[in-house]
Amino acid sequence: MLTQLKENIVYPEPKKQNIIIEVNELNVYYKNNHAVKNVSLPIRERSITALIGPSGCGKSTFLRTINRMNDLIPGAKCQGEIMYDGINLLDKKIDVVALRKEIGMVFQKPNPFPKSIYENIAMPLKFAGIRGKKRLNDIVEESLYQAALLDEVKDRLSQSALSLSGGQQQRLCIARALALKPKVLLLDEPTSALDPVSSAKIEDLLLSLKKQVSLAVVTHNMQQAARIADQTAFFYEGEVVEYNDTSIMFTKPVYKKTEDYINGRFG
Amino acid sequence: MNSNKANRMSIFLITCCAVLMAGILLGLVGYILYQGFSHISLRFLTSDASAFLAGGGIKNQLWNSFYILFITMLFTVPLGIAGGIYMAEYAKPNKLTGFMRSCLEVLSSLPSIIVGMFGMLVFVNFFHWEYSILSGALALTVFNLPVIVRVCEDALRSVPQDQRLSGLALGLTKWHTIKKVLLPAAFPGILTGLILSAGRVFGESAALLFTAGLSTPNLDFTNWNPLAPNSPLNVFRSAETLSVHIWAVNADSIIPDAKQVAYGAAAVLVLCILLFNVSARCLGRLVERKMTGK
Repeated sequence: MLTQLKENIVYPEPKKQNIIIEVNELNVYYKNNHAVKNVSLPIRERSITALIGPSGCGKSTFLRTINRMNDLIPGAKCQGEIMYDGINLLDKKIDVVALRKEIGMVFQKPNPFPKSIYENIAMPLKFAGIRGKKRLNDIVEESLYQAALLDEVKDRLSQSALSLSGGQQQRLCIARALALKPKVLLLDEPTSALDPVSSAKIEDLLLSLKKQVSLAVVTHNMQQAARIADQTAFFYEGEVVEYNDTSIMFTKPVYKKTEDYINGRFG
Repeated sequence: MNSNKANRMSIFLITCCAVLMAGILLGLVGYILYQGFSHISLRFLTSDASAFLAGGGIKNQLWNSFYILFITMLFTVPLGIAGGIYMAEYAKPNKLTGFMRSCLEVLSSLPSIIVGMFGMLVFVNFFHWEYSILSGALALTVFNLPVIVRVCEDALRSVPQDQRLSGLALGLTKWHTIKKVLLPAAFPGILTGLILSAGRVFGESAALLFTAGLSTPNLDFTNWNPLAPNSPLNVFRSAETLSVHIWAVNADSIIPDAKQVAYGAAAVLVLCILLFNVSARCLGRLVERKMTGK
C-alpha cells in the first residue's frame, strides 16, 4: 500500500558521501547479554547518521563501542572490526586516549565540569598539548562560535559552567568536543534531557556542523531523525533491521518492523 | 483516618527525638561553657601550667594540641586522599577490595585507647621515639587515616558517573580525569570531611596518653630551632595536649583550682571544635557556591 502511494514521487538522488567509519560484523557482549549482533554499518563523511530503535536495542552500545567507551564496563567484550583510517579501532594496541580526541562524544545529560565555561574547553586542550594563552583563547572562542553559544556567554567565560541553562550546557559540551577538532562526533540522545526550544537549537547546530565533522546520533525521537539525518539505521534487539537514506527509510521502509516502529506501533 | 493518626504520631515521635538530640547537645555545650567560660582569659590562654599553685594557664597544651593536629594532618591528608582515590577509582570489586574495606572499617571503629597502646608498643618502645609529638601524631594517623580514606572515597563516589565518562571522552587519561575533574568536584566534600576529622583528632586524648605523654618540657617560644629540646617545634619532645591536660588535671593534680582549670580548658576545647565544625560548613558551602556559580 505504501509503495502505491509513493510510486510517482521522484526523490532527489542522495549524494553518496565517502565512508569514514566502516563497521563490519560487530558483536558486543555484556557478560551473558549479547547486546549488539552482527552489525555492519557505514558512517559517512560529513553527514548525519541517525541510530533509532526502541530502548535496549543496542544502539547506544554500538555508539559507545566506536570510541571504546565500552572498555570501561567490566565484562564487556567486542568482536568484529570497526575500520577507521585503515585501522581496526577494536585493536587492543590502539591508543584509546588519542582515539577519543579524534572521535568525540556527547552524552544524553549535559555534563559540563564544575569549572568555568572557559576552563571546560581549555582544560582538555591543555592536556592535548596546546599551549599559549592567545592560541587557547582563539580555539575556545572558535568552538563556542561553532556551537552557537558564543554570543550568549562571551561576557561571562569565567563564570561556572553550571550556571548555564540545560540547553546552553549541552551546547558547551558540544563546543568542548569540537575544540579538539574531532573527525567524528558521536552523540548519545543529545536532546532527550532538553526542552523543545533548546532541542531545536541543538538540531540546527548539528545540521551546521556536518560541514566539518561526521556525526552519528542516537535518538529516540523519530521526527528528529527525519529532520536532521542523511542516513538512518534502525536497530532492533541488537540487530540492524534496516539502513538507508533517511528520505527513503521514512517513506518506503523495506521491512514491516521498520514501518511499524516509524509509525509508532511499538517502541 | 487511622493511617492519618499513625502519620501524625510518627512525625511527633521523630520530632521528639530530634529535639531531644539537639537538647542534649545544647545542654552539654552550654554547661561546659557556663562552667568554664568565666575562667577563660588572655592570661589563662598565654601562661604556663602550674604544678602546685593556683592560676596556671594552658599555653603549652593549646600549642601542643594544634601542633600535633598539624603533624597528624601532614601524614593523613596525602595518605588518606591517595587511599580514597584508590578505593573509589582503581580498586576492582573483588574479595581483596572487600577485605581492605573491612580492615578500614575495623580500624576506624577501634577504641582509641587500643590505638594508643599500639602506638606505645610500636612508636615509643620499638622505634625508641619515646613519648613524643611524632609518636602521638603517628598514633593519631592510625586513628584518623581510615576516616579520611572513607571521606575521600565517598566524596569521589558521589561525583556523577558522566563526569568520568566525559573526561575520558575528551581524550583525558584516567589519572588526568581524576586530578582535573573528579578531585575538584569532590573537593567540598573532602574539605568538610577533613575539617570534621580534624576536630576529632584535636579532641582525642586516650590515644595520646601513652604516645605523646603527660608532660611538656619548659618551652621557649623564642627558640624556633626544631632540633632544640625546648623548642615548640621539636617533634621528639613529649607533649601534653589540651584534652590530655583536662584528664590529668581532673585525675591527679594537686593545684587548688583544678576544677576551674579543667572547666576552662574544656570550654576552650569545645569552642575550638565548634569552630572547626562551623568553618567546615562555611568553607564547604563557599567552595560549592564558587563551583556551581549559584
